[in-house]
Formats: sequence, C-alpha cells, structure tokens
Amino acid sequence: MSHVGARHRPIDWEARSAGRVSYSGDIRLEGLLEGAILRSPHPHARIRSIDTGKALRMPGVHAIVTSADLPPGARYFHEGEKDRAPLADGIVRFVGQEVAAVAAETRSQAYAALRLIDVDYELLSPSLDVQAALQPGIDSLHARATGEANVSRRVLRQWGDAAKGRGDSRVSVSGSYHFPRQAHVCMEAMISVARWDEAEQRLHFWTTTQAPYYVVREVTQVLGLAAGQVVCHEVGVGGGFGAKSKICDVEVIAGLLAQTAGRPVRVRLSREEEFETTKTRHAFDTAMRLHADPSGYLKAIDASVTVENGAYNHSGASVMSAGLKGLGMMYRPEGVELSGQLIDTSMQPGGSFRGYGTTQTSFALECLMDELAEKLGVDPFELRIRNANQAGETTLVGARLGSARLVECLNAARQAIGWDAERAQRRPGRGVGVAAGVHVSGSFTEPGANRSDAAIDIFPDSRIRVRFGGADAGTGQKTIMAQIAAQELGVAYEAVDVLTMDSERTPFDMGSWSSRGTHFAGHAVRKCALETASRLKALAALKLGDGPLRLEGGEVRSDSGSLALGELARLSNESIDGVLSVETSYIDPVMELPDKDTGRSNISASYNFATHAAVVEVDRKTGQIRIIDYVAAHDIGTSINPTLIEGQTIGGVVMGLGVALGEAMIHEQGKMVNGAYLNYAMPRSADMPRIRPIMIEGGDPNGPYGAKAIGECSINPPAAVIANAVHDAIGVRIHDLPITPDKILKALAEKEGRARRHRIWARPSRWWIALVRWAYPHGLLKVLHGRGAPPQTCTDPAPLKAVATPESLPEALAALNSSAVLMGGGTDVQLRRRQRLIEPETLVALRGVAGLKEIKTASDGWMEVGAATSLAALASAMRQSIPMIAEAIDTIASPQIREMATLGGNLIQEKRCWFYRGGFNCFKRRGGLAPCYAIEGDHRFHHNVIDGHRCQAVTPSDLGTVLLALEARAVIVSPTGERIVPMADFYTGPGETVVKPDEILRAIRIPPSALSRQGAFTKLRLWEGDFAIVSAAITAQVDAGGRWQAPRIVLGAVASTPWRAFDTERRLAGQAVTAASLRRALDSELDAKGHPLARNAWKLDAAAGIAEAAVDAILARRQLVEG
Amino acid sequence: MGGTKPRQVTVNGAMREIAVAPGTPLLDVLRDTLGLTGTKEACGRGECGACTVLIDGRPVMSCISLIEDVRGPVTTIEAIAGDHADLREAFADCGAFQCGFCTSGQIVRAAALLREPWPANAADVEAFIHTAMSGNICRCTGYTGIVDAVMRTGAGRGKLGGGAP
Ligand code: FES
Ligand code: FES
Repeated sequence: MSHVGARHRPIDWEARSAGRVSYSGDIRLEGLLEGAILRSPHPHARIRSIDTGKALRMPGVHAIVTSADLPPGARYFHEGEKDRAPLADGIVRFVGQEVAAVAAETRSQAYAALRLIDVDYELLSPSLDVQAALQPGIDSLHARATGEANVSRRVLRQWGDAAKGRGDSRVSVSGSYHFPRQAHVCMEAMISVARWDEAEQRLHFWTTTQAPYYVVREVTQVLGLAAGQVVCHEVGVGGGFGAKSKICDVEVIAGLLAQTAGRPVRVRLSREEEFETTKTRHAFDTAMRLHADPSGYLKAIDASVTVENGAYNHSGASVMSAGLKGLGMMYRPEGVELSGQLIDTSMQPGGSFRGYGTTQTSFALECLMDELAEKLGVDPFELRIRNANQAGETTLVGARLGSARLVECLNAARQAIGWDAERAQRRPGRGVGVAAGVHVSGSFTEPGANRSDAAIDIFPDSRIRVRFGGADAGTGQKTIMAQIAAQELGVAYEAVDVLTMDSERTPFDMGSWSSRGTHFAGHAVRKCALETASRLKALAALKLGDGPLRLEGGEVRSDSGSLALGELARLSNESIDGVLSVETSYIDPVMELPDKDTGRSNISASYNFATHAAVVEVDRKTGQIRIIDYVAAHDIGTSINPTLIEGQTIGGVVMGLGVALGEAMIHEQGKMVNGAYLNYAMPRSADMPRIRPIMIEGGDPNGPYGAKAIGECSINPPAAVIANAVHDAIGVRIHDLPITPDKILKALAEKEGRARRHRIWARPSRWWIALVRWAYPHGLLKVLHGRGAPPQTCTDPAPLKAVATPESLPEALAALNSSAVLMGGGTDVQLRRRQRLIEPETLVALRGVAGLKEIKTASDGWMEVGAATSLAALASAMRQSIPMIAEAIDTIASPQIREMATLGGNLIQEKRCWFYRGGFNCFKRRGGLAPCYAIEGDHRFHHNVIDGHRCQAVTPSDLGTVLLALEARAVIVSPTGERIVPMADFYTGPGETVVKPDEILRAIRIPPSALSRQGAFTKLRLWEGDFAIVSAAITAQVDAGGRWQAPRIVLGAVASTPWRAFDTERRLAGQAVTAASLRRALDSELDAKGHPLARNAWKLDAAAGIAEAAVDAILARRQLVEG
Repeated sequence: MGGTKPRQVTVNGAMREIAVAPGTPLLDVLRDTLGLTGTKEACGRGECGACTVLIDGRPVMSCISLIEDVRGPVTTIEAIAGDHADLREAFADCGAFQCGFCTSGQIVRAAALLREPWPANAADVEAFIHTAMSGNICRCTGYTGIVDAVMRTGAGRGKLGGGAP
C-alpha cells in the first residue's frame, strides 16, 4: 500500500470531527485563574505612573503585573531589534498595547479589577499613518539605525542589469497599488495557559502556536529563565496563517501572572482584542514600472514599496524584503531595481502573514502584467508564458529552480476557465482575469532554519510514534508525517501516532512558517523513518538470515519468515522498556542564507508557482462583484496527500479573495473600527463560489518525494485575478484593495463623467450641518476628540442580577423598571451589554410570554404578528403570502441568528454605527460636545447620505424598511393601555423608536392590502448576512394595464430612519413603471434631498441601483405569474 | 456571584441541574459547568457559528443564549458526533476541516440542515448549502470542502432530487 500520495483522512479526524481535540482553552488545570490585560487607550503616550492598589484589593484577584515585574529591559527578540516590552515599559506606542495584567478567579473579576487600575498618561503626538509619520519635524517613535525619523529600515536591491533592460525596452507601464492591512482572524483567538511549577522551577505552557520553538526561546530570555525551564505541551491549534509563527503577545504575560500568582493562569483574548491589538498583515504601497520590448519580453522592473510597520518591529523588515524578492523570482527581465522603506507608525504592529510580503507586491506586478499585455496587444496568458522562468534557471534573486511549471500552470488555468471562449463572447458586465504567483518552500533566514529533526518510536505492540518539534495549526503536517512514516516502515497509516509541540519530548524544529512544513517535516521524517527501517532490518537479519528483507504489514519479512516491528524493537539493545527510539537530523543541502549586501541567495530548496483565473460578473448598478468561476493551478511537485493540498489551495484562495473583495482593517484615531466578524468583511460560505484546484504534478529534485510547498502560494494571485477580471468586465482598474462596491461605482461615475449636484447652498436647513462637517477636518474633530474620553475596547458585559422570564404581558410590564432591559432573542441585547452601551441589572426575556409568538388574522383582515415571533418562523409563515418579508429575512444575519432573533428585536435594534458600537466615545455614547466619529472616519458603507445631523448613523432594521413599504403598524402596550403607531412614525432617529422604557412592542399589524400589493426587497451588502449598505423595499398595486397605483418606495440605510421617496412615488403613480423610469425619478429626488458625507456619495448611486433591482424583481415576478 | 436557584436543562438527553450566576451563557454552562468542551467559542458575539448547538433541534448560537432563556433540550457536538458518523466521515474525506476549531459548529449546523427540506431541484442544492452554511465561518478551508461534505452526506441520505429526509 502506498501511503505517500494517498487521500488519507486527517490523522485525528475522529477526534477533530467530534470536538474531542483539546485546544488550549479546553485544558483544565486545578486552580486555573483567568487573566485579563489592561491596554493603552492612547496611540502614543508616556506612562507617568501605574497604581494597582485598588485593583489588588478586589475580590478574587490574585496577581497584577506591570513592566516593573519583568526583568529590567525585558524585550521581545523578534527580528533582533528588541524594541518591544511584553508590558509597556514607560511608553505606549499603539492603542491596545499591553500595560498591565490581572489574574483573578473569574473572567469578570479580572475585568472588573482592570477598571480600577489607574494609569497616568502624558500624551505624546501620534503618527497615525505613514504620511503623518513622515511629516517633517514629527517625533520619532523609536531611535532607528537609519537616523531618519520613523524610518525603521531602508533597502535597495539591484539584481541583474536594470539600466540595460530599460535601455533595451520600448514600452512601459506603471502604477501605484495599495494593499491594506489584513487580519488573520484565526477562529481560535490568541490564548495561552501557563503553570509555574515551584518544585521543578519550570514554567509549563499550553499555548496556541505554530512554533513552540520560538515560544520557549523568547519566554526563556524575556523572563530571565535558564534553558530547560520553559516547557510547551501539545494542544490543538485553531489556525495560524502566520499569526502564531513567532511568539504572540500573551505567553509572557500568562507566564508572569502564573509565576506571580502561584496558580495556573489562562490569558485568552476576546475576539475584539484579537482584532484590535494583535499583529496584522503589513499594508504596502507599491509603485512599479514594467519595461518591455515590443514582442512582450520583460526587460526591467522598477519598484518602490512603502511598508507600514506599525509600532514595533516584528517581521517588518523581512516581510518587506521577501516582498521585493518575490519580484525577482517569477519572470526574467534583464534586471530589477527595487527599493523599500519600512515606516514606524503608532498603530497596531504588523507581523507575519501567509504570503509574507509577496502577496502585496505580486498584486501590483500581476495587475501591471495585465496592463502591459493590453498595451502591447498581447494575450495576458501569452505574455506571462513568454516571461516565465524555467526549471534549471537561476532567477535574478538567486533562486535556483529545480523545477518550475509556471507555463504548465498557465496553460491549465487557461483551459479550465474557458479563457478563449470567455474572451470571444464579451458579455457586458462579465470579465475574466488571470494572475500568477510564486513562493518558496521554507526559507533559510536565520541559522537553524535549514534544519529539522525528527524522532520515531517503535512500541512493543508495533505501534509507531513520530515525534516532531513543530506544530500543525491545521495545515495537515501531522497527517503527512504519519503517511511518510507508514510508507517507509510498511505499517498501516492508522498504526502511526504523531506527537508535536512538546518541547521536552520532541526534537528540534523551528515550526511551521514560510511554507516550510512539507519540506522539512517531509525530509526529516523520511530520513528518520529510513534510518529506523534500516535498524529494524539489521535486527531482523539476526533472526531471519541474510536474504532480502522488506517492511510490510507491520513486520519485517523475508522469504523464510517475519517479525513484528514491536518484537524487533524489543530485541534492540538500544531499546528502553521495549521501545526503540531513533532520532535523526535533516539539514537541507541546497538552501543558502541571503548575502548581506545583495540580499541574493538560493534561499529555499524549491519554488512553487501558480496561475489562477476567474470569471466575474460586475453589477454596474450596485458595484457588486460576483465570482462565477475560479480555478487555481499549482505547481506542487508531487502531492503527499491530494486532499490536503487541495485544501491548502482553496483555503489560500478564499483568504486572498477576502482581501480582494472586502477585508481591510479600518482604523480611526489609532483604534481599529471594524474589529468584529460583523464588521470585518471576510468571506462567508455564500460569498464564495466553488474553488477548483488543479494540481500540476511532476517532482522537484529537492523536495521530499518531489513535493513542494503549497500553503502560501495560493494566497498570492487572487487579488490581481479579481482586479484584472473587473477591469476586463467594466473597463475600470482598481488600484486599491479591497475592491468594494464603493470603488466600483465611484470609478464608473468618474469614467462616465457623472456627478450629483445637491445644491446645499439652496437648502438653508443644511447650512449649519455643512459648516460643521467642513470644520471637522479643519481642527474641530481634533479639539472634540481631545476633550473627550479615549475609545475603549469592549469585551465583557457587566454582570446581571437576574433574568426574568415572565409568562404574561402584565407580568412582563411589571418587571420593567429603570434597571431592566427587555430582551427578545437577545442577539442584540447581549452585544449591547458587551459593548457597554447598556448595563442593566435585570433582563426581561419575552420569548415565554403567552401570545407574543402568534401570527393571526383579525376579523378586520389585518394580520397580527406577535413581536416575539422568531425571524425564522416569520419567514416560513410569509413565504407564500407576502414573499418580500421572507426574502428580506433571508438576507438577515445567519440561520442561527434567525432562529433566535425576534421580529420585535429586529425592529427595535439599535444603530449599528461601528464607531458607536466599537467603543468610541461619540456624541451618542457621551452626549454633550463629544464628536461624531463618522464624519471624518470611514463612513463609506453604513452611514447617512440624506439627513445626517449630530449622528450619521442609520436605522439598521431591514424589516423596518419592508414594513414601512407595506404600511404596517406597531402595537405598543404599556401598563395603562395599548397604542397603535404607523411604521411611518415608529422611528424617531437612527435605531431609535417611539417605544418608551415602560412599554413593550407587542405586535405588528399588517394591512390586508399587503397581500394584494406587488412588492420586492433588495439589498446591497458586503457579505451574506451583513447589514444593508443600502436597501430598497418597493410595493405597489399594479393594475391590469401594468400601471402602478399608490407605489411605496422605501430606501433603507440611507437616512436616519427608513426613507420614503415621496417625490418618486408621486411621479410614478399611475405609470407603467420600468427600472429606467424609476431611476430617472429617484435620481432627481436623491439629488435634491441627498447630503452625503465626504466619501459616501456613491451610496446614492447604489440606492438608485438597488431600487432598480427591486423594480426588476417585481416585473419578473409578474411575468412569472402572467406567464 | 452564584447564589442562584438551580435550574434543570436537558443536555444530550440527560437532565442536568445547573446552578450558575444569572445570565450565564449556555456556552459557558456547557464548557465550564458540564465539561462539554467540544463546543467552541470564537467570538462570544453571535457572529461566527463556532458555538452552534441545537435547542429543540434548531441551530442557535450558544454564546449569546442565556441559560434562563433556554426553552428546550440542548444537543451538542458530543451527542451529534455519535449520531452522524456519515457526516463526520464526509468532513474528513472532503477536506472540510483543517484546524478543526470551527468544525463542531459546522457539524452541528450541518446536522440540523440535513433534517430540513432541501431544494427539489438537485441543481440548486450546492447554492442552497453554500447559503445555509453561511452562519458558520471557517478561516481555513475556503468552504468548498464543507459544502461537498454536506452534499455527499445528503446524497447518502437520499436528499438529492428533492423530498423529505
Ligand atoms: S462564538 Fe458564538 S457565534 Fe461566535
Ligand atoms: S477548519 Fe479552521 S476555521 Fe474551519
């Protein structure tokens, strides 16, 4: 049986699919305390003093630590710069930096204690972006070797003869490309469990990491311990993607707390902390020029990159140089001339991220390759084929290509995507794009990185155990190690166990990063297994004689007999208790450390290439991109496990598509704004098409069994693929990721020379607002922000005294008091508690209240829906009778949330402005003169374009929009009676309603006319289930002649409350409506009434577009009925 | 803390007495009180699906379900795993997990989906599953494997080509 190349199931699939793998958070230790971290609210400040006295006296608190508890001068090693202390030492340089930490019996005790730590800060001037950091006269965050303020590093690379190449060229294309910060968003957030063993004097860790080696090394040096005093244990690791490829920011703190408290401590970041404070992908600005001759041969590449480092040097310098190296690997111009500058900002630090700089630079390169193809009139595939490096060549950066199947990848992708047919057909709004990529399989960046050891144990019962020092964060390393051991030792795959991460019992390995997993684990385990096999054969030969021996079926066999491996192990005089252990060390023979001066070397043992291609459709009305098909061809050498390779390919593609289409970390005043799954537009299942991987096989001479890496290369092409396909579809080139609908619509408007005129000068009611908006960037925001409290990271709700579960309405009304809050499904209430927007003592749960979940039709024909009806139940009840309600519900959140959330809760939910929700002390949180952060902050998607005033938020409820178009009414009860409020009067402000604190929304009444009206709801959003960027609910009585009577046109998420387009309704009444006639009327109304913010005017175009789509849906439905 | 009257909740078929602080999320009860650590927390905000359990057979987010408001029997991955061997095998064969942190939630959600009606037209099934699984974020797999695993299990249970399970 051949195990190498087989589609074996993941080694621990039974445990993993049953929830039985222990991750760090599942480790139960006697006396485990919960740790919490106090973080800087300021981007740059000096710490004058920290007073922990009050906090230490809080119940349940066992330890509080600050930098004073660390050895003097304790710094993370990282790239050797030693610029960051695990707890801020005198200065904080980004919002969220660790200042102190608490260990307490419970999480809420720990958080409560944090609030009582007094830190006296002296504010220093921050540099919140690269531009600010480079302003003349700015304070430097660090003293760097460059001697220039905030310039951490500069590099200049010249490989080959770029000057000659430029001279030989006839054509050039150039452009500047921005790649944003991306968050790893491992599903398991950072966590570390530490236990100090006083008797042993050792610090034990169960910690989520890709590289136990670095955890041990760094904790040892930072805490001033001796070698051998820090121990890592094996745990499940819930994703890495580079986030955990060095030490993270929690291990030292957990260890220090455990030492101080004398009890084990768990430090677990909340999702908000994970987003807002951990290291990110570095943002790159890449300016590039390609020079070519007329026949499409690249002659030279010039590039300069500016990399935002953030507050500390983690891997910024090496990410930057890896990004540049990527430009010297794929193609073969005569020379490249590359420069880079790494800029310190007082922002979340960057760190290593899958793709490691090559993702960023290849976005620029591959977009420009498309531009070059267009300029030359050469097919984009053909252009790449002409310039592709080949096996046997040494590339400009010094990479010696043992194998290189870029051309094969190009051909395979071209065929699979149907390139020629797509290009020939040219359907409007549809485009096809291609991009290539390259990556290393491990890199020799520091001593030791070319080496990996492995050990194999043969147990008396013939079971095999591989011991390996790295960690498998989900990439399948453990599985392939088991396959290789099974292969070489001739045993069943199931007979092999793999132990990783355990720093006491596993030999040396630096961990899984730089796509080194397959290469090093593969070689190391193979070498060890071969050595083990030959020892076993030697032992067997003593018994079985000299004839040929083979390992199979868990035995060593000869023609004359056989011996089980376990038996042979026992025979060995090296075995201990019958266990034979063999350990070997693999040192890669071909990798070279980079040359100090030129940066050139054969840094990796093998190089893997890829070509991706996609078909997209771009909706010119809404700016939405839909991926129709996506293929990813990879030059993988050979596959040790095809299922795992495909998984790494697809996973990398989707992570790359995330940043192509939605992912970007947005900051304001130094704090992340969209740090939640809800606000960080990463791909959900429905947003993604089937990704079709294509494996181009054919071994590499240097890979184990010919295998090359796959884990990172797959993330490199997607952004350029999409940008190129979008360009092909609509003729606009987006240089700035992610390619969100705002950029598409803005580019289209520019291209078509469209602009809206809002004539604010003629609308006195908007003058004051326009003036204030103007003043914000001219100093007003700075003043207002400086006066107020800094933003906070919200992660823990205040404790409750009770949750009341009344069974009748009177009971529920009686339970309401000033410290009680009503709860429907609780989906928003729990969030608002966590965000510290409410701190009730009591929650009053409405789901058990009799009659509140009924849907019935009254004698007057009005339908009455109880407010506690779940969205799921409401959708199934309405799917036939009023389908637009069901269709709207289908777009809300997720199936799970729709089971929980209620109609009433959906209507009453608060505004979702991400500043307000995200801990910014804005006007709505603080009142008074607190600023509205949305005026200057990122308001492209979720803010007001019509009637914004002090607050720019909108009402988030989709059902509010729909029910207004259906002319529904709200039934509100109070202790004194019942009142009925038309939906038109229900909202008083953004997510604010007429329901008073002592009232309960009991039901919604829907008029009989709703059944006979034609209607549709359409919505533009960033991901499946997100809140609307804009939505439209349109209903009308359509008469036999197709004319619309009494149309109701309601737009959602454009104004503080659901907004009726009254003028448009009037103009369309009695007409046979088409999308075009609606558009004309609506456009002129939006021009007359709109008052967008600086960067969200595009939403007016999107609103008109989404309303057109609603009209189309109504017409289509009619056709269906009539047809 | 504490000091609350115990309440009874049925978890995986067994009646359990629970005495926890008011407003404790079901997820914490499962993981900390009952030691059922198969259910994972990835956000605590109801936004990712990692903590999905069934209440009364319906998938919900346990991280934002308060124990007082749990009105039906709770089923977690520990019980689902035993009843859905075909689904777990399909997950393993199709590359539907890598790190496995989202997997409990995916499998619990998928188990519920396998009991819901599927589109009559087999051609619509793939898109249907893509959408129905959208409440469960996976950062590793890119979803194709998950959709394949659910489809394969559905096919094995005769759910393709319409009809009830
Ligand atoms: S942990 Fe419950 S939804 Fe994310
Ligand atoms: S398998 Fe890692 S998040 Fe889904």
